[in-house]
Amino acid sequence: MTVLEAPAAPERPRAQDEGQLERATERRNRRTYLALLLPGLLGLLVSFVFPLAYMVRMSFNQGAPDGVIVETFTLDTYIQPLTDPYYWRVTLDTFQMGVTVGILCVIVSYPVALFLARSTSKWRGLLIAIAIAPLLTSAVVRTYGWMVILGTNGLINSSLGGLGLIDTPLKLTNNMTGVTIGLVEIFMPYAILAMISGFGRLSPQLEEAAGSLGASKFKVFTRVTLPLCLPGLLTAFLLVFVLSISTFITPRLLGGGSVQVLATEIYDQTTGLLNWPFAAALSVILLVLFGLIIAVYQRLTKKIGG
Amino acid sequence: MTEPKLSIVDLTKRYAADLDPAVDRLNMEVEEGHLVALLGPSGCGKTTTLRMVAGLMDPTAGSIVVDGKEITHTPVNKRGMGMVFQSYALFPHMNVEQNVAFGLEMRQVSKAEQKARVAAALDMVQLGHLGKRQTKELSGGQQQRIALARALVVEPTLLLLDEPLSNLDAKLRETMRTEIRSIQQRTRATTLFVTHDQDEALDMADRIAVMNGGLIEQFGSPTEVYERPRTHFVANFIGQANFLAARVGAETGRANLAGESYYKVDVDGLGRFGAIGSAGLSGSSHELVIRPHRLNVSLHPGAAQAPLAGTIERVSYTGDALAVAVRVGDQQLHAQMLTSSGDLPRIGDAAYLSWAADDAYLLPAAAQPGRLAA
Repeated sequence: MTVLEAPAAPERPRAQDEGQLERATERRNRRTYLALLLPGLLGLLVSFVFPLAYMVRMSFNQGAPDGVIVETFTLDTYIQPLTDPYYWRVTLDTFQMGVTVGILCVIVSYPVALFLARSTSKWRGLLIAIAIAPLLTSAVVRTYGWMVILGTNGLINSSLGGLGLIDTPLKLTNNMTGVTIGLVEIFMPYAILAMISGFGRLSPQLEEAAGSLGASKFKVFTRVTLPLCLPGLLTAFLLVFVLSISTFITPRLLGGGSVQVLATEIYDQTTGLLNWPFAAALSVILLVLFGLIIAVYQRLTKKIGG
Repeated sequence: MTEPKLSIVDLTKRYAADLDPAVDRLNMEVEEGHLVALLGPSGCGKTTTLRMVAGLMDPTAGSIVVDGKEITHTPVNKRGMGMVFQSYALFPHMNVEQNVAFGLEMRQVSKAEQKARVAAALDMVQLGHLGKRQTKELSGGQQQRIALARALVVEPTLLLLDEPLSNLDAKLRETMRTEIRSIQQRTRATTLFVTHDQDEALDMADRIAVMNGGLIEQFGSPTEVYERPRTHFVANFIGQANFLAARVGAETGRANLAGESYYKVDVDGLGRFGAIGSAGLSGSSHELVIRPHRLNVSLHPGAAQAPLAGTIERVSYTGDALAVAVRVGDQQLHAQMLTSSGDLPRIGDAAYLSWAADDAYLLPAAAQPGRLAA
């Protein structure tokens, strides 16, 4: 039947034909995209969304002293950290550590990143690889390295003592100073990578143009180079901040138990006191802190036109 | 003669000891208020020369003198030049006014004066209404004008333009050409202009320096480099040209007002023709340069004296003109005809070529074998 009817069908205008074809292609494309996205989405669902939901749910449970988790819905787990000055202290310390490490890390990484971003040498690739090579070693190993260097009888103290510059060893471990030094070095590769990719608007011609208009080297840097680097610096800061307030190993090892931040507190609650609901509540608080910082970051990048 | 605004003496740049120099003992003098085009193919050293004048690159040897003062090693920010970059290099974190004001700010000009001069500069490039815009909101042509305003607002000792039109589309390029030239003439800014586009150079420049392999092949007015090319390279690079190897006979004894002599020359396989060239070329071999549009093409014999008979091998129609390639003996000659409503020539048709002695120019440099193809 259809075979007979086909020739009799009125000829549709060509444009409409093409429109339909386009829509069909679009539909097919969308299906292809979805199909390709599916494995990733499923992975995220299983490994991220579900555990996150589970953690949020857990934070409303009641933790009994013997490690038993009482299924309920209570805000006690939140009331305790939000009313206890100790947890305010820990949260503030965590925040402060994140900001300090972020700022110091950006300051020490900036010259390296700027050099690598500008380099036109054939060794550039190798140099970048070297700059990020420390990532090949685990943070645990590097933290132990810093303990050896910073310890009471470590490299720094014995050198300074041997030179007669100090009488009593400097206290560089088991406190925030040691943790900060360790974290700054450990996160430098991340900061450098984030900066190199964030310096996209910087070009040698802009610096040359500023110079030709009478700007001294210093003025070129403060008026052109630095402002154009800001988006990259901000991204690097955010990354290091987030990494350092969520890190556990370095504050635990270099802090030697005397540095308490949210991450070490969560660890203690989870594995020491077996108070999972409370640990979950602290984790949610940490997440909210992340969220706030990222919101501020987005405001800032919009403002500076990154 | 008054002192030149800019003199370049034996300027040399070598990027590496084992490479040929990018710029090789270049000498040039630029008069106050002139626009000089540095014209040549890519890699000829024109941009390197400009960057050395700007102070963005250190010369290996030689010196640069502006207003009688040697500035060869003066840092870029102390040279007081205005430069327009190929990519415009507008500061993306500043708006249009801030971009234009930058040079004045660096010179610590008062806020009030800055404002007035920025407004005047923007009016000059007809963009006075866009002062508060962000640079990325502007079109290519507008960005180009802002870059020009930014360079000119500081009243630079020299205006340096590095292929400023190469990022614009063809139509806009012609508009900007006229505009840059008229702004340059109004401000009387002595200007160096790097380009690889011969039309741009011929249209805009007071003087053209034709560069090749780090050397200036010829420095002269647009008519000089077009009508009286000194070398095969210049004749070939600027406009189109037919080259014929010629043995120069005796001078005819006639000379034109410029003191050039008329000769009888023998072209292998084609015959004996009249030509013009500088004095004293008799007895040696030289190349004869004839521009395609100076060749008279006729489709009928007998229209011109002693015409060369040939066959049309290629016809290319461009609307107002018709470019034809005519085979004469073992030579292929390129010619141009104006189109008319009459019959268009076809491939295989007979064509008759002739030219006036005034239009056949003998290159002063001796002919080089193997460089005869056009």
